[in-house]
Amino acid sequence: MEPIQINIRQLFVLIVLFEHGSAIVIPLGVSAKQDVWIAILLGLALGLLVFSVYGRLFRCYPDQPLVGYIQHIVGAPLGKLLGIVYVTYFLYIAARVLRDFGELLLTFAYPETPLFVLNAIMALVVMYGAYKGLEVLARTGELFLAMLYVMALAGFVLVFVSGVMDLSQLEPVLEEGWGRVWKTVFTETLYVPFGEMIVFTMLFPYVNNPAKVSRAAVIGMALTGLNLAVIAAINMIVLGPDGASRSSFPLLDTIRRIQVAHFFERLDVLFMIALIIGGFFKISIFFYAGVVGAAHLFGISKHQRIVYPLGLLVLLLSIAIASNYAEHIYEGLKIVTFYLHIPLQIIIPVLLLVIAAIRRRFGPSTK
Amino acid sequence: MKRRIAIFVLLVVCTGMLAGCWSKKELTDLAFIIAVGLDKTKDGKYLASFQVVNPGNVAGATQRGGGAAGVPVSIYASTGDSLVEASRKASQKLSRLPYYAHTNLVVIGEEVAREGLDGVFDALERNNQFRTTARLVIAHGHSAQDVLTVLTPVDKISANQIIKTLEFSEMAWGQTMNVDVWQVIRDLSSPGRNPVVTGVKIEGNPTRGKRQTNVQSSVPDARVSLDGLALFKNGRLVKWVNGPTARGVVWVLDRIKQTNVTIPWNGKQEAIGFRTVRAKTDVEAEFKGGRPSISVHIGAEGDISEVLTMVHLNDPAVLLRLEKELDRHIENEVKQAIVSAQRVRTDVFGFGDAVHRAAPRLWKKIQNEWHDRYFPELDVTVTADIYIRRTGLRNKPYMEK
Repeated sequence: MEPIQINIRQLFVLIVLFEHGSAIVIPLGVSAKQDVWIAILLGLALGLLVFSVYGRLFRCYPDQPLVGYIQHIVGAPLGKLLGIVYVTYFLYIAARVLRDFGELLLTFAYPETPLFVLNAIMALVVMYGAYKGLEVLARTGELFLAMLYVMALAGFVLVFVSGVMDLSQLEPVLEEGWGRVWKTVFTETLYVPFGEMIVFTMLFPYVNNPAKVSRAAVIGMALTGLNLAVIAAINMIVLGPDGASRSSFPLLDTIRRIQVAHFFERLDVLFMIALIIGGFFKISIFFYAGVVGAAHLFGISKHQRIVYPLGLLVLLLSIAIASNYAEHIYEGLKIVTFYLHIPLQIIIPVLLLVIAAIRRRFGPSTK
Repeated sequence: MKRRIAIFVLLVVCTGMLAGCWSKKELTDLAFIIAVGLDKTKDGKYLASFQVVNPGNVAGATQRGGGAAGVPVSIYASTGDSLVEASRKASQKLSRLPYYAHTNLVVIGEEVAREGLDGVFDALERNNQFRTTARLVIAHGHSAQDVLTVLTPVDKISANQIIKTLEFSEMAWGQTMNVDVWQVIRDLSSPGRNPVVTGVKIEGNPTRGKRQTNVQSSVPDARVSLDGLALFKNGRLVKWVNGPTARGVVWVLDRIKQTNVTIPWNGKQEAIGFRTVRAKTDVEAEFKGGRPSISVHIGAEGDISEVLTMVHLNDPAVLLRLEKELDRHIENEVKQAIVSAQRVRTDVFGFGDAVHRAAPRLWKKIQNEWHDRYFPELDVTVTADIYIRRTGLRNKPYMEK
């Protein structure tokens, strides 16, 4: 453990940026059609429940990251193995988000640029950020969050003024009953972005005020959940259920509908900036968690020493994981969710908490 | 020394990265396509026409007062099995790279519209340059290419002329609509609503309209004007509606902003003109014994714009009677529009969407037969509430009794 310290506000900022991350640009939960906002809010509610598990685990071991206390709870050999699984998971998701990011840019802005070049540029920035460490990342975040919010507000006002909103597109509410909504919650919105809070269990020990960590995380998640629900609802109101679900990037289409006074139009750049800011923080946090996790597991005193090798690995992985965008999305929705998100975000943390509680009560004190 | 080399390498890398000119295109290498026209050739291929801005001549023409410089736009046409193929093929004639980010108008030839729009727009919405906020019109009785070739006097670029006409005519007169590609795609993909698109026609002689002399006369040899609304069914153009009926369609779709309604009074046919300032239409679905019915309610307010008969406008009771007459007049106009759509069995008003919102279960059962079976027999009640707020600068007209 390196003596890095971030304050509670910086943690909050990182959580908000991370949770918005790619969730604002991808078609999140559109399989629920016009009820997508309900699916996101339910995802948030269950996500908070799942987070309470992470929060409790952190309270038991306030000075240890996930890969540290996992060894305390299940013992060194199994714990180390699980630690390696988690580190791999974080790096793999970093590679996935990096791929998302490259694909999005390639689809709508740089059709002639090779994917590798775009990913490499982003990966370089991410590696540099991780090399500089969490404090630098958090301070950058404070700057960018304000920017993101100003842009979001401007975008909202412009969409409103353009007169392209048709509230009736949200009707009929719950057309197919609750079934479709719950299905979306349990296959999409619960895990991305809310379940991904698991990555912060690696960063909580670096916060200088452990008592307030859970509160900051809960408020950050709630704020993001509301924002995402509003954005998804606006996409529906502007594009309609059919338009939004056929679109690769609903938010981009919504922004493209803006036309105010023949002057404010073609504001695609707003989307682009949101995409780059969100993408950067999401990749950075997953990557940083993977790097410090690996450093912790293998007893490397300075995490800087493995930033570049692991960064290169993530970059290559981001290219190698899928041969086209459809395959990438399919893997994300059908395979990663069931084989990675559910066990690693929910099952293992819950088991850890149960075992920790049993050990506390019956076993000799672990402290 | 080591540090210096590192900084040097960094600078070199930065210059490479920051310039950002991976696939740069110079302005002088781009052909700005301002409008796209789509027709069919005799052997069933698409004939795409591209109106390309002639930048030098647009700027020059304004400075020289529409002088003898070249034409502001030129048309490139090419054929292909699809729009993209035709567009790529046009590069054999075009000395620059076609650039679609500024395409503001899409003109569909009547023949293509009659054959069906399914799939026609896919290339447009898939492409990352093209904006689906581009306006859409149907060439009424002419080919799209003819419409695009006519040179226009006031707004030099004829695509802009058409777009601005669409915009201001919808605002002032309300018998046409300013529809964009995105809305048409939405209507095409929705089971409860079919598209309506404005038509354009050429008044005069299209072959003389392509010459620069067309804009050197105060009455051009050929003019492009808006003409009626095209109603679609299953993606195919099935009927044109004009005049008051077209305005009835626009009323139901809640797109009326301002218009002028003339009503008879004192036995005189066109006696009193009413100008709307604000209008709002609400469409609601109701159910009687499991069968849907629709109520359309129009609320509008405005001023008296013209009086051609003797009437005392400072008497509130007279205004009240005038309002009643206006209500009746507008209700008739709207009913006329609904009946003419019912006759061709196409719900261009989105009544199906209203039913869908109000009764999703019932809609599931009837949506496949909506246009053919339910819509033509649909019971529609139309009510209008018109308010005359002011009578202009005069109360009584100057004529004798």
